[in-house]
Amino acid sequence: MRRLLIAALALAVLAAPHARAEDTLNPPRWQSEGVFGSYDIAALQRGFLVYQTVCAACHSASALHYRDLDGIGFSTEQIAALASGVKLASGPATLDDIFKNPYPDTTAAAAAFSGAIPPDLSTIVAARPGGTKYVYRLLTGYAAAPADMTLLPGHYYNTAFPGQQIAMPPPLKDGQVQYADGVTASAAQEASDVAAFLTWASDPNLDASKEIGLRAVLFLVFLSFVAIATKRKIWRESV
Amino acid sequence: MSGTKPWLDTRLPALESFRAFFAAPVLPRERPYLATLPVLITGALIFQVLSGLVLSLFYNPADAYNSIQFIDRNINYGWLIHAFHETGTTMIFGAVFFSLFRALWLRSYKTPGEVLWFFSVAQFGLLLLVGYLGYVLADGTVSYWSLASTVSGAFGLSGFPGAIGVWFFGGADGAGTLARLVVFHAVLALAVFGILFLEYLARRGAEPKVTHGVGLHPYYTSQYFAAFVVFALIFAVLVFFAPHLGENPLNRGPADPLVLPVAVAPPWFLLPVGNVGHVFPGVWGTIFAVLARLAVLVALPWLDRSAPGKPAGFLHKLLLLVLALDVILLTVWAMQPPSLIGEVVAVLLTAYFFFHFLVLLPFFSALEAR
Amino acid sequence: MAETLGQSMAHGAAEASRRDFLKILNVAAGAVAVGAIAWPFIDALSPSRQAMSVVRPIVDVSGIAANTALRFVWLGTPIYIRKLTDKQIADNQFVVPDSLPDPASYTDRVKPGYETFVVVIGLNTGTPCELVGNDPADPRGPFDGWSCPCDGSVYDPLGRVRGGPAPKNLAIPRFTFLNDAQIQFG
Repeated sequence: MRRLLIAALALAVLAAPHARAEDTLNPPRWQSEGVFGSYDIAALQRGFLVYQTVCAACHSASALHYRDLDGIGFSTEQIAALASGVKLASGPATLDDIFKNPYPDTTAAAAAFSGAIPPDLSTIVAARPGGTKYVYRLLTGYAAAPADMTLLPGHYYNTAFPGQQIAMPPPLKDGQVQYADGVTASAAQEASDVAAFLTWASDPNLDASKEIGLRAVLFLVFLSFVAIATKRKIWRESV
Repeated sequence: MSGTKPWLDTRLPALESFRAFFAAPVLPRERPYLATLPVLITGALIFQVLSGLVLSLFYNPADAYNSIQFIDRNINYGWLIHAFHETGTTMIFGAVFFSLFRALWLRSYKTPGEVLWFFSVAQFGLLLLVGYLGYVLADGTVSYWSLASTVSGAFGLSGFPGAIGVWFFGGADGAGTLARLVVFHAVLALAVFGILFLEYLARRGAEPKVTHGVGLHPYYTSQYFAAFVVFALIFAVLVFFAPHLGENPLNRGPADPLVLPVAVAPPWFLLPVGNVGHVFPGVWGTIFAVLARLAVLVALPWLDRSAPGKPAGFLHKLLLLVLALDVILLTVWAMQPPSLIGEVVAVLLTAYFFFHFLVLLPFFSALEAR
Repeated sequence: MAETLGQSMAHGAAEASRRDFLKILNVAAGAVAVGAIAWPFIDALSPSRQAMSVVRPIVDVSGIAANTALRFVWLGTPIYIRKLTDKQIADNQFVVPDSLPDPASYTDRVKPGYETFVVVIGLNTGTPCELVGNDPADPRGPFDGWSCPCDGSVYDPLGRVRGGPAPKNLAIPRFTFLNDAQIQFG
């Protein structure tokens, strides 16, 4: 743990010229949280890079198509290039293909993981109590098991997972990916970014919803004043 | 333009009564905004039908969960129509619960309001069924297991109720079941409009006759419009900023026949009525509990022994507030994971519910009448 | 007295116009709200992005080599996109249309500005059958176009019928060139 911190600090110092604007790791927070929050596109793109590099090897995301990635700021050419790098059974992936499922069916997945099939990540943030924070805590929650706990074979101790024993090995390490925007890729940063990406994957329309919602609520507040005033005027004129 | 009216009238005589309906001075000169609730509920139901119609164009019972994901991600504004339908359910049940509470508060079930009250409870029960079917159609983790336990319960019943249960579901849960439940969901929702109309007829009988009243237009059309706008404002805040309010987050994940979630709770609006599975054990226990609650509500006009026409006294209102607290606590408790103390509390709160209606209410209302 | 009566009448008239303004504003704003609410319902019935990509697909033609054709299936129908060689254009450009079984000129068969591309539906107009001839090694018939393996009809590189029982030229689907490299169908 200590070495991790020193390494992270060293990387932070080295990366100082490219330092990010504010520290979103202590405490962990995301720009999409809150009533007026919106997705941080840079974080989503970094998170997608982590997802493609690390998570996509074992997890499927069958509700997502590659063309949906224009929602995190990629151009059509970038997505087409990205997709063509993904090898499906029928050849290179195209824009209209679903995110690659690493296993052809659940039987193959169960065989590869002794029954602990990696869940589909399309709606994982929405489908777990705690959402984004839960995913972040899970990814950063690996620790040494306490002395009084015997781990099941093939399982790891995780502070966030219900039951504290998870079959997924710690997926993230420092420097596992190279971020294009120069942000230091510490394990915690990778976890925060992939949690942001998975939040977007669960709810791609969150920004649009809040934007339309703000306009709708303001308009309806105005209209309610007008409507109530009209009703009172109509009643006063004769009753 | 003056020639148009008589031209249409001679060919469509109903127009005359249509216009008279809007102009006839039969409505009271003052009515609180809360009295617009039945019309708001009707309007919200129409909105549900419209959003449900659009959803049904893309919903596929053979691949329900994925078809809903497709709606959310690929249909233009599909996410919004879906959110309209979900939040609309919350708004309707919120309004219905509030409306029932208001009827208890004002004692509007007393003579001559018994038939109106009966239709209100019938509408409530039918809406619960429609809401439950809609919840099951989402085919999330919790919906799937809720349906699985309901179907196995229905098939486990003996005798005539068992026959009804088997007939209703028509087989083990799966694609075929969802396909028929979609149709039931839609047909029963339309049946609610029939009950709403009967309620409207009953309300006209229950309200006192008005001489020198005012017409529907423009006095009450303006009030209904203002009420609708405020209702829409609350709806907008929920639909855009909290569309999954009251939903179990697990239900947003796909159903897996190999994974049983820790707690399978029904949707929030069923909790005040259906949260008694632990209190009355077994399938018969759940059926008895739900029917008993509805039966107690239906019997209310006769359980309340106060004189008709008298407004509710302080004691009655206090008892009602305690009852509301009891129901809210029961609902909140039902959302917690099962535990021993939870069971004990649930039994006590349920007992109080029936105690209020079967003991406290007759006793204290008879006292008030004297 | 007359002053106050006049004042109250003026006030009443002002009141009336304020009421009417409020009512008009009420109705107008209400209509805007209804329209805004109705729009998502209406738009949801329009084809989704995926539906449009199926109904109006975009095909990249920059990779087609001369004298070969790309076979592309659009809603179940095979479409051939062929790139003509100079010799094929020269041989077919000035053929008198009336001498053909189904008269058509060169300009009828290609889009202006993109005369080296021929886009046809690859189905024989005689006996229903898919044509061969996309690859230079395929049997193309005497006119270096396409031939039908079922009834022996032969076509030229522009898709005009030249021999055999087929009565009509190959059908041309509805398409536009978005730019030099992309065709959109539909």
